[in-house]
Amino acid sequence: MSLLSKIGQFSGWHTVAPPLVFIAMLLVVGTFNSNYLGPLGVSIATASAAPILLVALGQSMVLNIGSIDLSNAAISLFGAIMLAMTLPQYGIGSLVLVLVLLTILGAINGAFLAFTHVPSFALTLGTLGILQTAALVVSGSETIYVSENRELVTILYRSKVLSIPLTFWLGVGVAVTYWALLRLTVIGQHMTAVGKNESGAILSALPTKFVKIFAFALSGFTGGLAGLSIVAQAGSASASGLGSALLLPGIAAALVGGTSISGGLTNPINVVFGALTVAFVPIAIQAIGFSAQSQSLVYGVFIIAVVTLTTTLTRGLVIK
Amino acid sequence: MKNDNPIVLKLTNICRFFGSVKAVNGISMEIRRGEVIGLTGENGAGKSTLLKILAGIERPDSGTMEINGKRANFRSPNDALKAGVGVVHQEQSLFTNLSVAENIEQQNQMQTGMSRLGFQDWKRINEDASEVLKKIGVKLDPKARVGELSFVDRQMVEIARAVCVEPGGDGTPLIILDEPTAVLEQAEVEVMEREIRKLKEFASVIFVSHRLDEVLRICDRVLVMRSGMLTRDTSTQGITKEELFRAMVDDTPTLNTHKRSPVRPGSVPAVELRNLTMEGRFKDVSFSAYPGKITALVGTNGSGRGALMRAIFGAEKFTSGSIHLDGKLVTKWSIGKAVASGLAYVPAERKVEGMIGGFSGTRNITLVHRGDSAWGQILRPRRMAKTAQSWFDRLDVNPNNIRQPLNQFSGGNQQKVVLAKWLNSPSLKVLMLDHPLRGLDVGVSQTVNAELRKACENGTAVILIPDTIEEALEMADEILVLRDGEISARHDLSASNDLAIKEIVAEMV
Repeated sequence: MSLLSKIGQFSGWHTVAPPLVFIAMLLVVGTFNSNYLGPLGVSIATASAAPILLVALGQSMVLNIGSIDLSNAAISLFGAIMLAMTLPQYGIGSLVLVLVLLTILGAINGAFLAFTHVPSFALTLGTLGILQTAALVVSGSETIYVSENRELVTILYRSKVLSIPLTFWLGVGVAVTYWALLRLTVIGQHMTAVGKNESGAILSALPTKFVKIFAFALSGFTGGLAGLSIVAQAGSASASGLGSALLLPGIAAALVGGTSISGGLTNPINVVFGALTVAFVPIAIQAIGFSAQSQSLVYGVFIIAVVTLTTTLTRGLVIK
Repeated sequence: MKNDNPIVLKLTNICRFFGSVKAVNGISMEIRRGEVIGLTGENGAGKSTLLKILAGIERPDSGTMEINGKRANFRSPNDALKAGVGVVHQEQSLFTNLSVAENIEQQNQMQTGMSRLGFQDWKRINEDASEVLKKIGVKLDPKARVGELSFVDRQMVEIARAVCVEPGGDGTPLIILDEPTAVLEQAEVEVMEREIRKLKEFASVIFVSHRLDEVLRICDRVLVMRSGMLTRDTSTQGITKEELFRAMVDDTPTLNTHKRSPVRPGSVPAVELRNLTMEGRFKDVSFSAYPGKITALVGTNGSGRGALMRAIFGAEKFTSGSIHLDGKLVTKWSIGKAVASGLAYVPAERKVEGMIGGFSGTRNITLVHRGDSAWGQILRPRRMAKTAQSWFDRLDVNPNNIRQPLNQFSGGNQQKVVLAKWLNSPSLKVLMLDHPLRGLDVGVSQTVNAELRKACENGTAVILIPDTIEEALEMADEILVLRDGEISARHDLSASNDLAIKEIVAEMV
């Protein structure tokens, strides 16, 4: 067996690859310009990684059941705007309100998927459009500044542990929770079963409709937390400002984190590394010295290379 | 028996090792033109590897192969095709989005080329396909899309494709049929036999099967493999099934048929159907399945048995009629309710519906009935493992590794795990199995059947769609014959043991 095929046969690859890729990237950045790895650099990188991570975690749970949620970034932006608008009046209560609202929005996505035959791609594309419009209408196409009670949320951004803001640690906490959910609970096992083989799951009397609703509800909930991290960082929310372009980085982070797009293979802890890697790419590009114009190209090439590395080659003959 | 026909295939000491595993260990044999050779042996005996060598998918490590007198050194399946070897595999390899003719033409293209200036010659493709189909006696529209055909019809297309090989010159084609009857019903098996007899006129056939009755009936000679070697190579005249068994396994298994007692009057059926109807599939089906009894549903493909079983399980909706469990009418039936009421269903399509391939044996077994494997929502890995291990030991699953993903096991062992999943129920009232022994070797089949009998002793009602009528006669207390969706006959085996298979086939068609 050639070295390449031996590498392909190593079945633990998809578990180990995401952290390895991230470390490799850190080494590359460090070699070119070690300033980027200092406390300030780490702080900036993880701050930008935080909303990506939260969106990616929600997405990875949906990917786990074999679906995709194209609307989760829009949900989180909508949530950020709602939060920014209601925070002055209701304080912490508004956070609870927004989280509940977004979880319900996610559950509605899931319910549509469970009870109609519309594929998740098409369904969430529609929801995406609806929520983007809603965000514009509710915000009046303006930036909403949090006039009062701002400290309640910005503290998450300004408090740091190991130079890393709490918004990122929040993401790590969610990742660990979701990991435990998938490995150690019945509902988690059911979600993975649906992703691996939905027909088999149905005929084993698993509550597949509930599983779908639950996965999308989780996506909505984490989207709400992503919205929180956006408001924490910017002190405001805008339909075109910070956090308005989270969809693709979120998906990329999930994939770089070893999540299978066909379902049944998700490791939320690796998604943390995926998000860090994705957040670091622009930094690495700068450190290496590529021009700003080539950023998209390098980003694209890089994502393809990384996903190829982290997608296990032993998963089977069919990769979507 | 004509012994002076030219030799089509000659193998001398063929070996293929995978590391320390001697999959094929010194096989030597000869096949002459017009011979039908049966190849049998347990799963893992080396049959598939030998077939792969003949088909050009694998290359032997040592030994020589001669086809039609010429040394053969296949480097790819294409080489095998050109030499005149056509294989019909057990797992279908058709292109489901193309038509029947296109699939048949696939094979031909490598031989004669069906295109003029690069364009497809549709008229000729369809005509040639019709000819081949006629030759093998199959009524199919060459323009039909393969994906819309039933499993059986697709099997026929596979055979048509394999028959298209032309070795050129006066070489004889060698057609290899890998378990062709595994998914065929009785009437279709007879069609298959007719075809093989037709094939004898211009080709030689290797017929791989677990069904010893068929092998003895259809083949001129039979070869038995065990652990990579040939243990018998003999004419089928005068040899018995028991002798074949002995050549296949190390110990002589017993074919037992248990004594049947009639149902006690006044006992409540575990499940009773009254005039159950599903539009387009079955009509007015009424019967009762009693605890501790096995009911077999026999019929041809399309007779509605599979749909009937799924309706009882709640997987498909029925149009009218009623289902009664333990005497009580069920309403708004669903799979969840069925399973909670003690029903179980082992589907025919094991890989797609019966199991979660990517999950370990442990997770598969504890998937439906958790028992003490979980505290509410929290899984208890050690209890799960204990449960799984005890089932693996009881059913002798090989390899005995409860953590290995189930898709890495052989079909027979997968089936054992699927069965364990349902036997793991605290109260199993009705166990339904659709073609449970399909593709399984003798040893595994006996383990499965023994478990079914044990379940009966524990009071479970078993409803079974068997692969063969012999299976039904061996296992069932009652046989129901379905034809075109309706029950055409009932046989209570506690009353009479003299049932002719031909009689049942007549009730099926």
